[in-house]
This record gives sequence, C-alpha cells and structure tokens, in this order.
Amino acid sequence: MAEKFEVGIDELFVVNVARTIEDRTTVFHGVSSPIPMVAMYLSKLTHAKDMVYFGGVSSAVDPNPPFLPYTTNDWVMIQGRTAMVTVDKIFDLAQKGELDRSFFSGAQIDMYGNQNVSMIGSPDKCKIKFPGGAGGCNLSADCVNYTIWTTRHRVQRRGDKKSYTFVKKCDFVTNIGHVTPYGPRSELDLVGNGPDWVVTELGVFDFDPETKVMRLRYLYPDVTVDDIMDSTEFQPAIHPEVRVMDMPTREEVELIRRIDPLKVRQLEYPPQELARKFEL
Amino acid sequence: MGIFVDRDKLMTLAEAAKIVKDGDKVAVGGGLCMREPIAMVNELIRQGRRNLHLIGTAHGFDVDLACGGDIVGAVEETHVSFEQDFGLAPNYRRACESGKVKIRENCCNTIINQLRAAEYGMPFVPMKSIKGSDEIKLHPEFKHFVDPFTGKKVVLVPALEPDVALIHVQKADRHGNVKVDPPYVADVLFMRAAKKVIVTAEEIVSEEEMIRIGPTIPYYEMTAIVHVPYGAHPTSCYPYYAYDREYISEYFKAAQQGPEAFRSNYLDKYVFGVASQEEYMEKVGGKAKRERLASWKEGREKWMELFTYG
Repeated sequence: MAEKFEVGIDELFVVNVARTIEDRTTVFHGVSSPIPMVAMYLSKLTHAKDMVYFGGVSSAVDPNPPFLPYTTNDWVMIQGRTAMVTVDKIFDLAQKGELDRSFFSGAQIDMYGNQNVSMIGSPDKCKIKFPGGAGGCNLSADCVNYTIWTTRHRVQRRGDKKSYTFVKKCDFVTNIGHVTPYGPRSELDLVGNGPDWVVTELGVFDFDPETKVMRLRYLYPDVTVDDIMDSTEFQPAIHPEVRVMDMPTREEVELIRRIDPLKVRQLEYPPQELARKFEL
Repeated sequence: MGIFVDRDKLMTLAEAAKIVKDGDKVAVGGGLCMREPIAMVNELIRQGRRNLHLIGTAHGFDVDLACGGDIVGAVEETHVSFEQDFGLAPNYRRACESGKVKIRENCCNTIINQLRAAEYGMPFVPMKSIKGSDEIKLHPEFKHFVDPFTGKKVVLVPALEPDVALIHVQKADRHGNVKVDPPYVADVLFMRAAKKVIVTAEEIVSEEEMIRIGPTIPYYEMTAIVHVPYGAHPTSCYPYYAYDREYISEYFKAAQQGPEAFRSNYLDKYVFGVASQEEYMEKVGGKAKRERLASWKEGREKWMELFTYG
C-alpha cells in the first residue's frame, strides 16, 4: 500500500495559481505577491519552461533564486537570471499588449472582478488606508489577461456583523475587472481582456462569458457550494460542470517545498486556514 | 532638470539636507526593502522639514518613517507597505486616516510615464490605461481625451518633475558620477527627471576608478554627493548588506503603538538621539550587526537566516 502523502491548502493553492500560467507567454508578478511568486517559479520549472519570467520589482528576466524571500525586491530575486531589465520596460510591454499575465488581489473584490487595494471610506474621509495598487491600475487594464488571488474569501463574523472580501460594491476601485464603475471594458478602448481566473482558498472561478460575473468552476475537496454562497456577498454564477479540482502530483508538491523553504506561500493566510490538509 | 558641473560636490548630510525645502516634491529612491535613502530621511526629520510631497513607486520603511517623523504633507507613492512580511504601514496609515497627509496614491506605469515626460522634456503623455479606475479621483490633473489619430479614448497625464530626488547608491565620486547596481527600481528615471539630485553613497571612489567601472549616470545630473556608509539601513544595499529584519521588526512594533510611543521608543533613540551615522550604526548593533548583515555572501543557508531574524 502506498504511504499516505498530504498536501496543504497553501500548496494546493499555489498549484491552482500555477495552472493559470501558460507556456510560451510573458508573465509578471508585482509587489506583496508571495503566492504568485511561488506559482511562477513552479511553472517555470514544470509546465511553462518557455515562459518569459519577470520576477517582481527586481525586474530580473528568468531568475533562478536560491530560495524565495519575504520581500519581492531583494538580490535573492535576481540570482541566476538571464538579464536585468528596468521595471518601465515591463510596463512598456503591457501597454503594447505584449504582457500576457500578471496577478492581482484586493481587500474588496466585486462580482466583475474589480478590486480595492486603496481604502475603506473615501479619499476625503479615509477610514482604513490599504497599501495601494502599485502597478495594478495600469496592468489590470493593459495585461492580456490576469489572475486574481485571495486567501481571505471566507466570511469573517464579529458578533452579528459579517465582513466579506467578495462584496457587492467596492468602496474604491483600484484595479479594474470586466464592468467598471465607468462602464464595461468594451466601451473604454482598453488593451487587455481583464481577469480570466480567480483563485481563493474556497474555490476557483472563471467569468461567465455573457454576464461577465464571477463563476464557480472548481471546489476544494472540503468546501461545498453552500460554503461559497455563505462567504460571498454577491451571487456568483455556477458553471454547469462545477466539480472538485484535480489534486497536484506528488512531484509538484515536493518541488514547491524545495523552492520555497521559508514558506512564503503561507504568509497570506489566517492561521486556522493552514490546518487544512488533503490526501493525495 | 538642472545641469551641475561643480568639480567637488561632496558635502555633509546636514548640508545636503538643506537643499530640500518645505513643501518640495521629493522623489524617494529604492523601493520596498531595498536601497532606500534612510539616513537622508532621518536627517530631514532632525532638521524638522515639513509638508513634503513624496513621489515614488512601491515603498515601505522610508515613507512610513517620514510620516512618523512628521515631515510629510502628501504621498504620491503607488504602494506603501511592509509586504506580507509585517503588513500595512502603521505610520502611513495613521497619517492618511487622520487627514494629516493628503492621499495622492498613483499607479506605477502612470508615474513612470509622468517621469519620462519630464525626462524627455515633453508636457504630457497619453495613456491607454487608468480609464475605469477610481485612481483618477485622486488626480484631478489627469485629463480624458480622444486620440485625434485613432479616435480612441486616452488619458493625458502631465510631466512630473520632482524638485529633488533622494537616491542612495553603491558608489559615487566627488564630481557626481554615480554607480548604481541594479535593480534600479525608478532611480534612473528620478535622477533624470528631477530638478536636483542628492546622492548618498556607500563608497566615494576616485574619478579614475569611476571611469574604470563606468558610471550609471554621469555627474552633470547630480547636485550633491554625501558619503554615508549604511545609508540605506535597515533596507538592503547589496553587496554591502542585506535588509535588517530584526531592526525592522523592532521599528514596526514601536510604530504600531501610536505616535507618542513611536517618538519616545524609536525617533528619540535612533533619529533625534544620534549625532552621526557612525553613532547610529553603533546603536543598531555595531560590528556584530554589520558582520551579520554582510553574511549573505557566505551562502544560501546564511542568506536564508537573514530572513528569519526578528
């Protein structure tokens, strides 16, 4: 009998993000992006060996770092590179329509994939200041497609009060999805096509081609459709063939553990989520 | 842009900081945990500069410190945090939420294009993005426009010319030639777009040595050169030192406790309470600390350890 082999939610999540990356494409991750950083490195070593890999603010082309650091701007992230470019060159590719994918997240995300990384409240009366979108406002418009990720889909309850990441309306739209507060993408003369995947700790979503609303595509083995509905303030669409996601291979999981010995892939979770394990 | 041809631009930190005036638009170099001009920010706090308008891309310690040191009136950075390592920036958040600092959050490619317009001597740049985002609410100077050649909607963003750029580099000479090791982040753009450039450097080398290694940016862009070893601490300045996570952790705890505690537990000790950069580094941990921060060169295991201190 084969020995028991467990994969953590953090590892399965990385694989879900990696699955949104295609071979022979140009891909960039930005600041504050530990999970995309691990997913890109994993993809470069597995199914996307000819991906052009731009490693964060450090702007190294195809780095081969000895480990992955807690910050996206460190000499660790330029080791083993082919070349350095300056960060403006990556944005130039994007505005020409030649950057295929990047990764964005938000403290609030709405049904069309708009994200708030800026503030709760308004510019004149800011209640909570978030870090800001870095390149997200531009790249969410310019990238051919992008992946949204968050490890905080699960609704937070404080007494009777529910706090959602997936909200009906964002207080402020930093990064744009499919239908913006200023109209749908089709009316804005934009370069890119918007988000095509949303990876959360509860499920994987695409977008309904007609309505442009987030659509549940894959579930984690320990999550139900009801769990998703309970944790989402708006009503997501459900793909007719929604199912439990494929598990990663043992090789993929072992590779993740090898390339990420500091476990930066775990930095984004509330502690209790990390207890989730799945048997291969 | 200005042109500066003095043969000897070397001056003290205190003299160079006086070039920065209250209310100036200040481009702060480096980014996140790397090569930020922290010694210069400390000096500006000591001198009581006020109402600075900070410009930059993805930053962290520098902007948070400047907000905590009360020298900031507006922040036009694209991102300010300690990433997922420590999280949201406490002093920056407080300054924005209390209304003390005006939120002028910008976006990386927008600010790059605005700096390039200044560098190229052009009045504005048309952009295809920004449309659809609320970022435009923070920038009434951006204008919607229809491209007369294609009929497509664009946004015009004006040239952004910082009054002064503060950049910390590896090497400089007295004439002002500067050698920066990549990643540059936005530093080369800042140096070319700003009216004045103040450079702090780990090492001052002879002009002959600088010509041998080749300057990244030639002397005529630089206004002042200051010799400040560990001038980026606690952010990294490789190959000399990695970032000081232990110190940042202490800073972060002090910043979280509120403005008064931050002043007494941090600013009084490390900013107001030191007379020189040497004294600062002694307080930070002296020789043992300097050796530890240089130990990244000893291989993967040692380098990894530097990410787990603190």
